[in-house]
Amino acid sequence: MRLILSITIIILFSFKIIGREIGETEITTEDGIEVFQDEKYYLLKKNVKILSDNFKLNAKDVKIDFDKSLYDITEINAKGEVNFVSSKFGLNSKSDFFKFEVITEKLRVDGKNSELITKDIEMYSDGFIEVNNLNGDFKLEGMNSKLINESILIKAEKIDGVFSDNGDQKEITFLNVIDKKISYVKNNNTEMYAKKINFDNKISIIELIDDVIIIRNGEKITGDYGTLDTKNNSYKIKSHKNTKVKAVIQNNE
Amino acid sequence: MNFFLHINKKIIFFFGLIIVFSFLILVFSKQINIKNIDLKVSKKILSDADIAEPKFAISNDSRKIHITAKEGNFLTENEILLNKNVKFKSNDFSIETEKVIFDRNKQTAESKTKSLFKSKNTTIFSDGFNIYDNGNKIMFYGNSLIVLK
Repeated sequence: MRLILSITIIILFSFKIIGREIGETEITTEDGIEVFQDEKYYLLKKNVKILSDNFKLNAKDVKIDFDKSLYDITEINAKGEVNFVSSKFGLNSKSDFFKFEVITEKLRVDGKNSELITKDIEMYSDGFIEVNNLNGDFKLEGMNSKLINESILIKAEKIDGVFSDNGDQKEITFLNVIDKKISYVKNNNTEMYAKKINFDNKISIIELIDDVIIIRNGEKITGDYGTLDTKNNSYKIKSHKNTKVKAVIQNNE
Repeated sequence: MNFFLHINKKIIFFFGLIIVFSFLILVFSKQINIKNIDLKVSKKILSDADIAEPKFAISNDSRKIHITAKEGNFLTENEILLNKNVKFKSNDFSIETEKVIFDRNKQTAESKTKSLFKSKNTTIFSDGFNIYDNGNKIMFYGNSLIVLK
């Protein structure tokens, strides 16, 4: 009789472990949990797996801040081989460090070879990548920062910008790119280099500041300031008084 | 002549005697066993638990955790082993387990048996726990599972 009862309890417990119900978040750890009630956070230790309706997160260690009780999560900080996949936000990321603020929907990944990939945009950095899902702000900073979407490729030390939803797709509406050495932007068939590159979708203008180079169809134009109109794909380059605009036309044949 | 008339009366007598003795031995042995069991049970009740249904509390400025169990045994002057159906209850949560060492002086409680923590919309299954810092901090040991609703 006791044996039957024990087997029943084990089976029920196993089903409880295996079967996550809709709306529930299930967290497993290999080395326990430390709850700090006054400070309102808990630490999840070793091989942490978080599974919910909206996202899946794997990491070595995780810190979760809460408001009223443990379920009332306000912030998630993860470290060590962090893997995050979100069906709600349509994105996945890999990084050494990961931070998600629940109320502001602000996500930040840190560390070498960090990546954050959505359906339309891929972002990579050895520094950090920050995305605010509510207002569409994004920021990449550090070595090897790179942003790629269908029509644009950007490489720079600092990339600031804003996404907006255009139907099913996310498009870049504002960009601010800075690199002490040189920033690089490739848009359709045009490659652009400058220390600072700005883009405003409202006026459809890419603005290039300092050490400007534009390369298109074998033409290489250099100067100090340039603009590219993305509507008609035309560009202008200016130079300071004591320098001149230089154009090199290469024969590709 | 009937076969049974050939059986020796002495054999029948001794056979009967053996049956009677066996029966008596069986009865006495059972009685002795019952007495032993009674003694064992009463000894167990008397010796195993220093405190029956102990009640303690861990408290600080912001919360009070009430601790109850079926049995308690003093390990040292301050350390008490709480046994069977050990429950921790505060305004925020409850924990259930089978064995806990409670330190009255340090206001700590540590368990290495399977534990079940429950608070609002939260359940934690673990391989034990340690309540310290006057109940402010709880460490859950080993492979742990949290279910948040």
